[in-house]
Amino acid sequence: MLSKNFSRKKVKTLNEGLVVLVRGVIGFFSLLIFARVIGKEQISQLTFFDYILGITIGSIASELTVDLSTKAWSHWVGLVVWCALGYIMEMITLKWRYAAKYFEGEPAIVIMNGKIMENVLRKMKYRASDIVELLRNKDIFDLNEVAYALIEPNGQISVLKKPEYLPVTRKDMNIKVKDSGIATEIIYDGIVIDENLRQYNKDRKWLYSQLKSKGIKDPSEVFLFTLDKSGNVYIDKYEDKIKKVIDIGDYKGPY
Amino acid sequence: MKKFFVVSIPIVTLGLFILIMVSGNYLKRPLGNDDNIPALVEVINNNIMEEKWEKASTNTEKLNDAWEKVIKRIQFSSERDEINAFTMNVARLRGAIRAQDKAISLSELSEAFEHWKQLGK
Repeated sequence: MLSKNFSRKKVKTLNEGLVVLVRGVIGFFSLLIFARVIGKEQISQLTFFDYILGITIGSIASELTVDLSTKAWSHWVGLVVWCALGYIMEMITLKWRYAAKYFEGEPAIVIMNGKIMENVLRKMKYRASDIVELLRNKDIFDLNEVAYALIEPNGQISVLKKPEYLPVTRKDMNIKVKDSGIATEIIYDGIVIDENLRQYNKDRKWLYSQLKSKGIKDPSEVFLFTLDKSGNVYIDKYEDKIKKVIDIGDYKGPY
Repeated sequence: MKKFFVVSIPIVTLGLFILIMVSGNYLKRPLGNDDNIPALVEVINNNIMEEKWEKASTNTEKLNDAWEKVIKRIQFSSERDEINAFTMNVARLRGAIRAQDKAISLSELSEAFEHWKQLGK
């Protein structure tokens, strides 16, 4: 009755889902483009500030998508400002080492000649137990093994062990080794990559002879074939003749 | 050529996004004959001043229809708060005109117009 009296036609309410969809697309691809422009560092190298920068930018992007009470534009400007400032800071620290030290900090020596530097620890706000934990992550359980330890700006620890605890290398033993180089993919997913074959001055004829020696008739049977400088070949076929795969899961799950 | 596309695709994409986001201020303006909100507001204002309540009622429905058309165009670029506020003003205006209340009608109409002005800005 009421609606008959007052409203001849109801104003169609906004299609919220559709608006969120469009704003979501805008937010997603804007973020992708900005991230490609500013972010090349690996996650593990992030300083504390980079970490917060990432969280903030992500949070602005999420508001851009679902906060319909305000315009997308204002959120988007916020996103641009944070990304632009992040980019500028990165450029400054790249070009100007003085600023880099100020903005990003520098490594601090926390163990020197086997002695823990208590003052440095206090300044870095690390407890002795934190240092011991970080060392354990590096497979060091005995502090006596450590000659030097540094806290890097990303919060990780770098350790130089005392010479007597360093492993023997081939050089120490005067063993001559051939440089194996990095293996290159020759067959990937059953497809021969001729460019990589040419790099090693090999041809398909050589490849087929290699495959034949392993009892393979066609490259399409091969999942991965790699070759390195010293001529080492790794071949993995689609058909692995392993009947019973060891199951390392020890708890009964859904599959 | 490859480099050209690598650079131009993100730029064109961002340009398109900006266009969608700032289009509200332009798309709220009349594009046809029956979606001219400022003109309708003025007509209804005159109707109320002259206490022609029948005409005011008809024109309010026209305003409602025009608003429905405008919403479709501006929903991606405008804030929901302003859109909802305008819709509510029109609803109250309808009631005030039925009650033939000049003061409330005028104040609702004035507020609705203010919301329209803020839209997409």
